[in-house]
Amino acid sequence: MWRFFVARGGQYVLVLLASATLNFALPRMMPGSPLLFLAGEEVGRLDEGHRRELVRRLGLDRPLWEQYVRYLIDLARGELGTSFQRGRPIADLLRERISWTLLLMGTGLLGATAAGVVGGTWAAWRRGGSTDVGLLFTAMALESMPSFWLGMILIAVFGAHLRWFPIFGARTPGVPLEGTALLVDVARHLALPLVTLILVTAPGTFLVMRYAMLQVLGEPYIATARAKGVGERSVLFRHAMRNALLPVCTVFMLNLGFVASGATVIETVFSYPGVGRLMYEAVLNRDYPVIQAAFFVVTLSVMAANALADLLYPLIDPRVRDGRR
Amino acid sequence: MAVAELRLPRPFLRLPVRPAGIAGAGVLAALACVAIAAPWISPYDPASVVAPPFEPPSPAHPLGTNDIGQDILSELIYGSRISLTIGFLAAATAVSLGTLVGVVAGYYGGAVDALLMRLVDLILVIPFLPLMIVLAAYLGPRFWNTILVIAALTWARPARVIRAQVLSLGTLDYVDAARALGASTPRILTRHILPGVLPLSLAQFITAASHAILVEASLSFLGLGDPTAKSWGSILYYAQARSAFLSGAWPWWVLPPGLLVTVTALSFALVGLALEERLNPRLRYRHSGAALQTELIRN
Amino acid sequence: MKRVILTTLIALALAKGWAGAGPSPTAGFLRIAIPREEGSLNPYTYQSGYPGWLLMTLVYDTLYYPDLDNVPQPWLARDARPSQGGRVWTVTLRPGLRWHDGRPLTAEDVKFTFEYVKKFTHARWTPQAADIERIEVQDSLTVVFRLTKPVAWFRQLPLADLPLLPKHIWEGVTEPGRFHNTVGSGPYRLVEAQPPQFYRLVANDAYFAGRPRVRELVLPIVADASVSFNAMQAGEVDANTRYLLPELMAQFQRIPGLRVVRGPGFASTILQFNLEHPLLRDVRLRRAIAHAINTQLMVRLLMLGFAEVGAPGYLHPASPLYNPAVRFVPSKARAVALLNEAGYEDRNRDGIREASDGSPLRFSLLARSGDPIRIRTADLIRTWLKDIGIEVQVRVMDDPSIISLVWPDFDVCKGRRFDMVIFGWSAPVMTRPNALTQMFHSDCRIGTINIGGYRNPEFDRLAELHAATTDARRQRELVFRMQEIVARDMPIHTLFYPDVLLAYWQTKYDGWAFQKGQGILNKLSFVSAPR
Repeated sequence: MWRFFVARGGQYVLVLLASATLNFALPRMMPGSPLLFLAGEEVGRLDEGHRRELVRRLGLDRPLWEQYVRYLIDLARGELGTSFQRGRPIADLLRERISWTLLLMGTGLLGATAAGVVGGTWAAWRRGGSTDVGLLFTAMALESMPSFWLGMILIAVFGAHLRWFPIFGARTPGVPLEGTALLVDVARHLALPLVTLILVTAPGTFLVMRYAMLQVLGEPYIATARAKGVGERSVLFRHAMRNALLPVCTVFMLNLGFVASGATVIETVFSYPGVGRLMYEAVLNRDYPVIQAAFFVVTLSVMAANALADLLYPLIDPRVRDGRR
Repeated sequence: MAVAELRLPRPFLRLPVRPAGIAGAGVLAALACVAIAAPWISPYDPASVVAPPFEPPSPAHPLGTNDIGQDILSELIYGSRISLTIGFLAAATAVSLGTLVGVVAGYYGGAVDALLMRLVDLILVIPFLPLMIVLAAYLGPRFWNTILVIAALTWARPARVIRAQVLSLGTLDYVDAARALGASTPRILTRHILPGVLPLSLAQFITAASHAILVEASLSFLGLGDPTAKSWGSILYYAQARSAFLSGAWPWWVLPPGLLVTVTALSFALVGLALEERLNPRLRYRHSGAALQTELIRN
Repeated sequence: MKRVILTTLIALALAKGWAGAGPSPTAGFLRIAIPREEGSLNPYTYQSGYPGWLLMTLVYDTLYYPDLDNVPQPWLARDARPSQGGRVWTVTLRPGLRWHDGRPLTAEDVKFTFEYVKKFTHARWTPQAADIERIEVQDSLTVVFRLTKPVAWFRQLPLADLPLLPKHIWEGVTEPGRFHNTVGSGPYRLVEAQPPQFYRLVANDAYFAGRPRVRELVLPIVADASVSFNAMQAGEVDANTRYLLPELMAQFQRIPGLRVVRGPGFASTILQFNLEHPLLRDVRLRRAIAHAINTQLMVRLLMLGFAEVGAPGYLHPASPLYNPAVRFVPSKARAVALLNEAGYEDRNRDGIREASDGSPLRFSLLARSGDPIRIRTADLIRTWLKDIGIEVQVRVMDDPSIISLVWPDFDVCKGRRFDMVIFGWSAPVMTRPNALTQMFHSDCRIGTINIGGYRNPEFDRLAELHAATTDARRQRELVFRMQEIVARDMPIHTLFYPDVLLAYWQTKYDGWAFQKGQGILNKLSFVSAPR
């Protein structure tokens, strides 16, 4: 058993290294110099000497292999460097932004999972009926909608037209708030992006839950329970749902990996100051250290989530313990 | 990767899957007709400036005009060509590649399998946005490059699914028998494995097409697609950039293109569903962790 | 099912109740939306020319400051007197100036600042201090600058551009790009910086030119243009540094309480040729291309009329050195005639003309991907050139990729790899006294933004004479002649200058001062010029 874990572990390290290398190479392959965003049009007026000094200060003149080695060493030490563009430590940047991403994706996950569980159970229970069809169709329709389009419709209707919710940012800027007022402000700003995210993510969970419930409901022990006269409600909640939650847990755990990367498009549409938006801006600005750091965080979290799933699965589902393929 | 086996007892039993699939196919056929017949049914040439910009709907322009005075309805009609072609080609490329990889990995197993699946994991982890920017910068954000990039990132999931299928087929007795009788590998692959895999590939293609259409819309919207190729996504790009949401123009400028994208993606999904249901109702879905991940990458 | 509907209704009602629950600002408090982060708003960390530099000058002062006509007026300095033909400048400070922390601002700080920027490279300040040979402090209020050569516009660059740094704080700072101190001498103090969300500035009541008229400024960072205008409409911000989009003009003008100002804009959109391209070297071809572009129609279609048609000498008609004798009226007939005269014919009947050596008139036109108006501009040009037998392929790319082809590493000496590009220069370029020299001088050290690689010895001669003279009339004469050459040779084709359109809530604050070609976000909107 533990030979399996070592082999798996080794593979993960390999993947991590490969993605770290890819993360390093990708920004370097992009044409265009970060000098533009550091110095603007004025850079054209610098003479060669001063320009070289700028390049030296940014560390861009060292040979490629040397930059690569330093990158790996820094990564291992957890040192993420300083943003070219903003002149601030990236760790700070990530820390500021990640809390908003976690808030958005965290509540989104919970909401989507809850909606999916409820919906999936209901649909499975009313299998074949109009409710089931309606829910399935709605789920498929939502999955087919571009998330940014949905977000913009919500902005147009609820933000611009009805003025029920604010349309940008995570908080009303510049106004110091405490306690409940702060909570209300954050909640109001979170509402539209959250709803968009839930509408887009819930269908996936819904389908998995529905499948799982159907499978469980088809099991012999359910028939036995019914035959014994156990109420339908009880069958549903005490017996079926508990067992169907297993794959939902898997989905939940796997989603965790993506929490850190943020829903870039949704954050862009709503100007929500999260990590996804940071990555997009950094790529457009060729802010190499930020891109590398953000990529690495995403890769790490995805690998970690996978590793967690791999470890926990045999514990949760005994069927998988044997027959590894 | 963690593998959870869900044996699915006909989850779509008693549901109008076939009618839905037929409806979906019907819509797609209609869209294809519109795309082909565009030059005849489109009221104007979408590239010509035909009226003042930002006009609301009128009898001459049922969906009004865009920011430089081009007819939006004509843009939508011609846009079907671009969006459908990109979706189709990207999905075809992705699934062909994915089937190839899946078959090779599943059949040969061992180091080849491990290597290929690690590659699949890597693909699933690559941040999608910057890769598109790299390619767009080198190759130019053009039509073919959009297809290439979408395909380059969406072949991974079909590869996994096909591999799972090959694994289950590979253990079947008659394959062992064929091998024992000394049949050559290509023969086994083409005569025995491939036919078992093709229907699944087809289903995967339909699903991939659905995703490809959505991805193309997102890319164009972010300004990473080719803005001079008038796809539905690029219409949304200009609508957003020229404040359609503020100026009240969104009902006719934003709703229709998004709706068309949704309807197309949905139709593909319904057809895919009907196909999967019909091909093999007792199909064992091996939901590996990575496969589920790809669902989420879209966001 | 009924219960679901009921719950939903209740939820919606609650949500509606929230609508008015947003916190409202107190009086004396303005919210001005800015488009991006600007570092820590000190001279070494601010990011953009607009609005970054302007915001930074709310916290830091310069010796001179441009008035509403962009003419530098004494600010921290009482005057600056040239001698020896402009080779020596004596600057006298006002008495009683103080930094935000109460310490006095003296000639020592002036000397320190200029020497500091010579030592620690900054893309904008260092070149401005390049001509300074020696700085002498004569007393606590007087500084003498000795230059390596006479500079006629010293009051503008660097005196009206480079802000002063407090010596007692910056002395010993070796990594200015990572130094986040914001003690300055300006009318506002930066009290809170929360990028990526906002900056908060509070009035400096002890400011020498008088108390600022607005007590507190909050600058929320709104990265998305439509979102920022939506916020304006909804009253979530009181002013916006972003120029209003033409398509929103009509709508915003109708909103009571919201005021829109319109003025000439000095930013330009131009069609830049690569003068080293074998075909584009021919001036007749360039002129033909220019004739095929209907700039009047372009202004109507793309900018909805809110722009000025481009002048062939590059300088804006509202610019003080504009030469009105230089005109250009495009005519498609003339374009065709020029092409025929120059021997460009469609010999093989494929719809595209060829040169006499057979090479087809086929070009690529680059446009920036983040800018929909530029892309539309390129598209229109493509259609119009197709009509006269020139094939253009529009290639859209992101800004850094374009720069790497057109202006690699921002060094004109490094060459160029493009055919044509839709480009543009920001407003400050137009106000620079040596704008044309920088744009067209053939020596890449002098013509630092000559991205087309234009070479004309006649122009170079005029530019050198211009740099050497301090007589205002002679300078004007020379600039007029330089415009004539540019109009004749057409190394670029100036398409249009977008107007400056700015909106603000009049009901919240009406004291904005409009600086020609640039906008309302400047010191004069908050304090009056010192006497």
